[in-house]
Amino acid sequence: MSFFLQLLFSGVVLGLVYALAALGFVLIYKASRVVNFAQGQFIAIGAFLAYWAMASLGAPFLLAAALALALTALLGFGVERVFLKRMVGQPIISVIMATIGLASLLDGLIHLTPFGAGNFSYPAFLPPGGVSVLGVQVSYAQLLAVAFTLGFLVLFTWFFQRSTLGIAMRSVADDQMAALSLGVSVEKVFALAWAAAGLTAAAAGIVVGTISGLNLDGLVHIGLKVFPVVILGGLDSIPGAVVAGIIIGVLENLAAGYLDPFVPGGGTRDVFPFLVLLLVLWFKPHGLFGTEEIERV
Amino acid sequence: MKNPWAQTGNYRTRYEEDASLFATHRELVSLLLFLAFLLVLPQFLSRTQVFILDLILVYSLAVLGLNVTTGYAGLINIGQAAFMGVGAYTAALLAPQGLPFWLVLPLGGLVAAFFGFLVGIPSLRVKHLYLAMATLAFQMVFEWTVGHMPLLRQGGAMDLPRVSFLGYEVGFRNHYHFWYYVSLAVLVLLALFWRNLLRTRYGRALVAVRDNDRAADAMGMDPGRTKLFAFALGAFYAGVAGVLYAYLSRAVVIEDYTFAVSIKLLAMAIVGGLGTLVGSFLGPAFLELLDVNMEALSNLIKALGFSVAGVDVASALRPFAFGLVIVLFLVFEPRGLYNWWRLVRSYFRTWPFRY
Repeated sequence: MSFFLQLLFSGVVLGLVYALAALGFVLIYKASRVVNFAQGQFIAIGAFLAYWAMASLGAPFLLAAALALALTALLGFGVERVFLKRMVGQPIISVIMATIGLASLLDGLIHLTPFGAGNFSYPAFLPPGGVSVLGVQVSYAQLLAVAFTLGFLVLFTWFFQRSTLGIAMRSVADDQMAALSLGVSVEKVFALAWAAAGLTAAAAGIVVGTISGLNLDGLVHIGLKVFPVVILGGLDSIPGAVVAGIIIGVLENLAAGYLDPFVPGGGTRDVFPFLVLLLVLWFKPHGLFGTEEIERV
Repeated sequence: MKNPWAQTGNYRTRYEEDASLFATHRELVSLLLFLAFLLVLPQFLSRTQVFILDLILVYSLAVLGLNVTTGYAGLINIGQAAFMGVGAYTAALLAPQGLPFWLVLPLGGLVAAFFGFLVGIPSLRVKHLYLAMATLAFQMVFEWTVGHMPLLRQGGAMDLPRVSFLGYEVGFRNHYHFWYYVSLAVLVLLALFWRNLLRTRYGRALVAVRDNDRAADAMGMDPGRTKLFAFALGAFYAGVAGVLYAYLSRAVVIEDYTFAVSIKLLAMAIVGGLGTLVGSFLGPAFLELLDVNMEALSNLIKALGFSVAGVDVASALRPFAFGLVIVLFLVFEPRGLYNWWRLVRSYFRTWPFRY
């Protein structure tokens, strides 16, 4: 039982990371129908920026995190202004390919820094050990991750429910034409969506970094795990991204805990989300909360 | 006066003329000359250069398949390398049993086509992005499954035996040359098939479904079946390419069929010009030569001593140049290299007139 609870809890923590990463993805998709394949690179850049601020500048964790969040958001904003702005109205395959090209470009840039290869971990700023709840060992890093993520989600909810900008973004997602005619700057919203995606990606990267250390391939791989999450949650649903993120995180962890002994070589966690993705596509293609497209001639 | 060598207008008066593959004699002759050039080309090149040509031919074949699925039918496929891998692993299992390569080639294609059919099943219900996700999932599941199957050496190298042709065993010296000619023959055959596909009802149905699947449905085509056909055919091309790749490198390793390769193939199709025959050759040639040159450049940088500790220039420069080329093409020449080719060709076709 405690084994199950342990898996469940670390699955939820992992799921919150996926939820954060997926949130940025869904924001961009909702606003501009662009599929962002560079989410993994954003995650890596955010995490490494925080590491750089802590290790080289000696900044405390919160300051380093804030710096990384701001810089990655700026990067997202810039990317939209420079590349994606020109792709508006192009066929879907071109837009997808543009973000794939962008991912490769950013990959090259990361490899230009010493962070391209090897493992890194944040300088220790938390006391070792942790607390025990119901027989589940919870490290302080995990506690911090949960608090950080939940705080972030609350902030985002407030932003979309209460602030003018957030409401403008929701209006564009809802009906671009209507929003445009009511004086909402759609262009600004697109750029803002990319900035927000950079922000959430950096947050996800920092959370992963505090829990399990930094490695370029590992961080970029989270960007791929975003796809099962968003398909399960529904491509255009923000609550869906959060719920599905947690579901995928828990399922992945349970699979790793209970199935790995039966699979030679283990590593079920790498494939399980994609099996879920295939099943969802076969049986419930629009996910848990996605809007079903109804076509009329 | 009608001149069969130049085309200064459309003089076609009969249906047979309209259905001809080549508009002018000049086109046919220049194509034959180019083929002859390709036939003698390896005689003047070193083994490593022939190897690069081999790679370009094999990738062209896979891109041709991608141009059926993504180019003709408009279904985004980010798992083409996995279909190549299916073909390659079929070859790795069948070739040691003593099957001749000309039998393994179509078999590998057929097995890949079967998997393409399976992956395409969601296309009966969903479209666009959701389908792209299905191919992505297939790519991931394929990589993981191969990596965990003892039968396939868990992704490690599976050796292929040397082949013999007309009683001669193809040895070390002429290995690359032999596979150059085999790949070229297969490529010409399948390219002709590809070109003709668009003149059949099946090919036209693909384009109709791409442009408007509801209208196609209303006109009696079955969009779901058409998409399944597109997936299976595209995977068939990839499977054949995979078999060729396996024989060419004489070993099958999972690293040759990963997600990164899928992306490379898609980029080749886009850079060449989606849905075009010429683009299917120009794209792979361009990106493959770019990759080779970037590797040479990073070696040069290393030799000059500009490197920083902990930074691998090659692993930075190659993805950077690759991504930059894709983005630049999409922004400035979305129709790809094919458009440049088209401009040059129409210049010569109507010469001495401007148009």
